[in-house]
Amino acid sequence: MVGESGSGKSVTALAVLQLLPSPPAQYASGEIIFSNKGKPCDLLTVSKDELQQLRGNAIAMVFQEPMTSLNPVHSCGKQVAEAILTHSDMSKEAAFKKTITLFEDVKLPNPQKMFHKHPHEISGGQKQRVMIAMAMSCNPQLLICDEPTTALDVTVQKNILGLIRNLQQAHEMGVIFISHDLALVSEIADKVVVMYKGQIVEQGTTTAVLASPQHPYTKALLACRPALHQKGQRLPVLSDFINDTARPMTTIVTEKQTGTDDNNRTEKIISVNELSVWYPSKKNLFGKTLDYQKAVNNVSFDIYKGETLGLVGESGCGKTTLGRTLLGLVPPTKGDIRFNGKNMATATRHETIAMRRQMQIIFQDPYSSLNPNKKIGDAIAEPLKVHGIISNAAQRRDKVVELLEKVKLTADHYHRYPHEFSGGQRQRIVIARALALQPSFVVCDESVSALDVSVQAQVLNLLNDLKKDFQFTALFISHDLSVIRYISDRIMVMHKGMIVEAGNSEDVYTHPKTAYTKELIAAIPGKAFGSTL
Amino acid sequence: MLSFITRKLLYGFLVLFGVVILVFFLFQGFGDPARLVIGQTGDSATIQNIRKELALDQPKWKQFVLYLNDVSPISFYSADDIQALGIEGLQIGSDSKLVIKFPYLRRSYQSRRAVSDILLEALPGTLTLALSAMLFATVIGVLLGVLAAVKQNTWMDSSAVFASVLGISAPSFFMGIVIAYLFGFVLSAYTGLHMTGSLFAYDAFEGRQLQLQNLILPAITLGIRPLAIITQLTRSAMLDVLGQDYIRTAYAKGLRKSAVIFKHALRNALNPVVTAITGWFAELLAGAFFVEYIFGWKGIGKITVDALERLDFPVVMGSVLLTASFFVLVNLLADVFYGIIDPRARIF
Repeated sequence: MVGESGSGKSVTALAVLQLLPSPPAQYASGEIIFSNKGKPCDLLTVSKDELQQLRGNAIAMVFQEPMTSLNPVHSCGKQVAEAILTHSDMSKEAAFKKTITLFEDVKLPNPQKMFHKHPHEISGGQKQRVMIAMAMSCNPQLLICDEPTTALDVTVQKNILGLIRNLQQAHEMGVIFISHDLALVSEIADKVVVMYKGQIVEQGTTTAVLASPQHPYTKALLACRPALHQKGQRLPVLSDFINDTARPMTTIVTEKQTGTDDNNRTEKIISVNELSVWYPSKKNLFGKTLDYQKAVNNVSFDIYKGETLGLVGESGCGKTTLGRTLLGLVPPTKGDIRFNGKNMATATRHETIAMRRQMQIIFQDPYSSLNPNKKIGDAIAEPLKVHGIISNAAQRRDKVVELLEKVKLTADHYHRYPHEFSGGQRQRIVIARALALQPSFVVCDESVSALDVSVQAQVLNLLNDLKKDFQFTALFISHDLSVIRYISDRIMVMHKGMIVEAGNSEDVYTHPKTAYTKELIAAIPGKAFGSTL
Repeated sequence: MLSFITRKLLYGFLVLFGVVILVFFLFQGFGDPARLVIGQTGDSATIQNIRKELALDQPKWKQFVLYLNDVSPISFYSADDIQALGIEGLQIGSDSKLVIKFPYLRRSYQSRRAVSDILLEALPGTLTLALSAMLFATVIGVLLGVLAAVKQNTWMDSSAVFASVLGISAPSFFMGIVIAYLFGFVLSAYTGLHMTGSLFAYDAFEGRQLQLQNLILPAITLGIRPLAIITQLTRSAMLDVLGQDYIRTAYAKGLRKSAVIFKHALRNALNPVVTAITGWFAELLAGAFFVEYIFGWKGIGKITVDALERLDFPVVMGSVLLTASFFVLVNLLADVFYGIIDPRARIF
């Protein structure tokens, strides 16, 4: 089941198990027929007890956020065993044993130990495996996976997909796999349902839908993935297909963006030398640090004026810490960072403030990086005020409106609050805020990762346009190599706090040197069908 | 775990040391306690004697060192001092001895009784009262809070919230009088309770007797405010937790609603509640003067206030130190509780 966020796919899935809080949810019409061992029943009319019998037993569910879907106060093993004990009259010991077998089935390392671990002690991918083990514990006939891999790294995503496919075949169960990414679904599904604005707009076998998409929305979903486009090409967006049908698709795709001159970039804007950022991980009785978590370990690189440097790596590799250290948000443990030739560590307070003005960040999560109590216009105006760039309130307002228009919002939006905007709009507000100071260096920390593929294309286009407009240098951080390749001039691959590979983006993408980079590239979903398109 | 507790205890001792300094200079640093001991009428010879006895003729810093020596569990005394002060404990050495003992809190100016005796006499009353009041407040408060959260926006929710607001706004001296009058006097025939009474009654024939029924009314009075606060905290924490993803997971497993609420939601909601419970508990251990006074309950609070009134500083100092130690202990307990409830909070 494919569709963008807000298209109603999760609501549909949750309705199957009646997991929507009701009220406010109302089932206005229709029925959900589930064939329970050949005996059909309408899930909307079954009694509470029958529903509890079905939940977790005949129909199981794996949720999107492995980080929050497990109860933090109970051990992983207990949570899985609980599901078994609820639906069978097994003894506790037997249930515990079965849990460990399940942990083996979902390929969790060291199942015995994993049983006693709490969710915060294991990685996101491992948590999702625990969730799958929990879902599989009673041999369900139907498994609903609601964006099970969206929050995970591509390499982990690939493994989880493989796991779900194997389990599905071994247990002969039905799987509803929900995602916003058509390419991902193409890797696992036999049949595809495309949802748009609460309705099914297209359905059919995967091969049929991919080969000849009928609905413009499906076409847009297929076309807007950055993996299919060369750097500098404008990404087709949803509106190209849905509103502006007069424009033939080919012209949109090949419309080449000008102004990306890759030649002779020699002026360094940032120069990093043997930088390390360590966090204390173990302390003794007197608070003396015994061991460190080496988030960034001895990295050196330069960023040249005007380029976009892509930084790619899986979560926990230190890329976010590195980005924040460049901005002076995290103090370095060792090494130095020079911004326009000036050492940041030895800069005076005055110089630091001047540097800050030149450097801005666009965060990952547009939902939490805007103050919910602040009008977005004021949020954008704030940096202008803080740095005393425009002291006149009226002029500041004009400037904010100009910025809003630059990110394709209007002056009317000035007095609205963040919750009134969609994720993509919020990210554009965050971009406007970052660009208000006309910075010369911008860090985009996973700026499009939380967005749907279709919205992601819009934001990427916008970033490309603005970069031309404002002439800033960017460090673009992402776990998605296809996005990085699309937007960057050069790529750095980071792994376990160290930079393992660096080079021109096409070179790295097409001829990766290290095994780790190869692994990252192989994990990009839908490569197979992408090349045939 | 052990190193965590050791570290916390070390911090606790530092805190107590600070309290000792503060207490000493507040009550002994200025003025002349000798005059307080003897009152207005003493002649100068008596005063000189008392000054000598209390070491008040020494310079202040020496007085402080002596006081520190007295309250410290490990201290040095000469054999004469041990005799004179009646110190018990493990003694090492012959003439000048290293003594490991229960802190010596000196003697009351007025009654000349050892302060530790006075406090120990009142301690069981305060402990039982504080414990039972908090037990009452915790059990009822958490249950009410859970009920209010689960039945959000129903009459049950709004009445629980209303009642707790009422509880927060009612001062204990007022509630104490109302409850004592109503249940201990007007309805005494039905409840069998009295307006006043302590934990122990002294009978001419049978000696000391436990009077547990006297506990009921003061415990309820004392428990009302923490109950109200615990209700509100539990409610808001539960509402927050009930919206979490893992609650949906628990439902998706097919668990019954009661299992979801008590096994999955409540434990996650408990941390702020534990903070409130332990804070209140420590505060109640310092004594609750009004309630003790109204119900004639013998406890630390009343003794402290009485001692203050009579300027009986050793008793006040002793009870401040005792209370401070309780705070340190209860806070340590709270930290351990956090870790037990929520594995993410395990810092040991």
